[in-house]
Amino acid sequence: MSAGPILWRLAALVLLVVFITKPELFAPLFEPLTINNAPAIYNQGSLLSLTLAHLGTVFSAALASAIIAVTLGIFVTRPSGLEFLPLSRSLVNIGQTFPPIAVLAIAVPLVGFGEKPTLIALFLYGLLPIFENTLSGLTQVSPLTLEAAKGMGMSLRRRLMEVELPLALPVILAGIRLSVVISLGTATIGSTVAAKGLGEVIIAGLQSNNMAFILQGGLVVALLAVLTSDALMAVERFAARKLGQSPS
Amino acid sequence: MRPSISQRVRSVIEIQSLTKRFGDTVVVDDISLTVDEGTISVFVGTSGAGKSTLLRMINRLIEPTSGRVLIDGQDTMAIPEDDLRHRIGYVIQGYGLFPHRTVSENIATVPRLLGWDKKRIAARVEELLDLFQLDSGEFARKYPHELSGGQQQRVGVARALAAKPALLLMDEPFGALDPVIRHKAQDDLLAIQRRLGTTIMLVTHDMDEAFHLGDKIAVMDQARLLQYATPAELLTRPAEEFVEKLVGTAERPFRLLALGKVREAVEPGAATGKPVSASATLREALSQLLWMGREKLPVVDADGTPLGRISIGGILAHGRQPA
Ligand SMILES: Nc1ncnc2c1ncn2[C@@H]1O[C@H](COP(=O)(O)OP(=O)(O)O)[C@@H](O)[C@H]1O
Ligand SMILES: [Mg+2]
Repeated sequence: MSAGPILWRLAALVLLVVFITKPELFAPLFEPLTINNAPAIYNQGSLLSLTLAHLGTVFSAALASAIIAVTLGIFVTRPSGLEFLPLSRSLVNIGQTFPPIAVLAIAVPLVGFGEKPTLIALFLYGLLPIFENTLSGLTQVSPLTLEAAKGMGMSLRRRLMEVELPLALPVILAGIRLSVVISLGTATIGSTVAAKGLGEVIIAGLQSNNMAFILQGGLVVALLAVLTSDALMAVERFAARKLGQSPS
Repeated sequence: MRPSISQRVRSVIEIQSLTKRFGDTVVVDDISLTVDEGTISVFVGTSGAGKSTLLRMINRLIEPTSGRVLIDGQDTMAIPEDDLRHRIGYVIQGYGLFPHRTVSENIATVPRLLGWDKKRIAARVEELLDLFQLDSGEFARKYPHELSGGQQQRVGVARALAAKPALLLMDEPFGALDPVIRHKAQDDLLAIQRRLGTTIMLVTHDMDEAFHLGDKIAVMDQARLLQYATPAELLTRPAEEFVEKLVGTAERPFRLLALGKVREAVEPGAATGKPVSASATLREALSQLLWMGREKLPVVDADGTPLGRISIGGILAHGRQPA
């Protein structure tokens, strides 16, 4: 990587950290967007704690999606699980086609307001990219490599742990990245059911017709998404290098 | 050709009435044969003849429908399949090297599965890199995608030989190489096999390869074994018309000459010109005589001692159909 992009990312990171810890420094910038002397900077809670809560929700949901989707992906690519492939594909697809907002609407009566319905929606929404990438990662492992592994007397478990998963890892990680980035944006709707998160800032802006609030919420989410995506991409590159794959 | 000291040759691989059916199709039909220790048996036949299936039943990648395979008298079905495969080297066309492992790590695969200690593995890897003329400093830490086709092939064979298997199965191991490298790779394999005394069963659809490498050649067609014999027997006493056709009637005398050595056709007397080595094949000697426009040339052995001469007439007598 050349120095240019790294500097840009560093600048974005510094901007994000300063903004969520000392947002009042940016008040002059946002003042022109307010009317009737409304506050220029979100004042109904700390941006820092909202950001941390937002990240916490997204990462716990992503972790759960990853564990379930990767496990399912492994299972349906084994000879014993092959027959469940179409079924699990459609199940995971339903998770994706069902709008997250509808999931919230259904989940609230069942589990109540707050964190939980958001976690459920993000979890379901995050399954598909990870599952699909796990499948494509595992199925693109060369049959010759697997034949050789089997022919040399590697057990099923070793073939999975030492050959298939390492070779599929970069693709699986790309699925996880996709899922996390989508969730970072999607998580904002959780604030409609009283989950703590950056959606609160945007909703407060909508309710009080304060453009400055909307922009702040949007800006923090966007910076988070860009930086997280970059960081995870770096992890993918590192994994690919470790696995002897030429950087693509 | 192998010396026929039959008492000393222990039979390693006995294939007894081996049969494989997929549904109603018979892919390997009641094949029996014995592969002697330290020899190369080559399985030839057109594509779809069942060669790969036969080979894959030996290391149990395919379970036979019926019949048995014995290794040193032991039924392979009595050995747990992974243990069996640790004892049998396996090389396939394209090799299937692990793309995420270095050359060293690839070669170390079976010793690692067997739980050898690190020092022993490292020493064995060094030994094999050396044997296959891969400079350890240059290649040990390379990944397969950084190697040429010929280098990948050598790593594939080195990996298969790492745990000193009693038997090496090779399924079209030269199929992915271009013709120039292929011939050299065949010579290298032959030299290594003679040195290590490994028993090899090799599948190919290339007749030249079969004659080049085989101590014995098994001709297969449509799931059946048509003939299993030495190259010379295959040429002079083909069991069926199909074998004769496959061997190539036009090539026959030349293949036969390629099997004989100058040593066997030396005549007394002198001749002038560039001497021919006694260890050259008759085919090479004939080609030299024709090219130089000579009737006769002197013959010398490895250290240059004159042994006599060789003549076109004498060579031709060796390429003739036996009476
Ligand atoms: N798993 C299988 N199911 C059904 N037919 C098979 C299977 N494997 C191989 N065959 C058939 O068996 C025949 C022999 O295959 P193979 O042993 O690969 O031949 P060769 O190696 O001589 O080209 C082919 O006609 C092939 O289509
Ligand atoms: Mg084949």
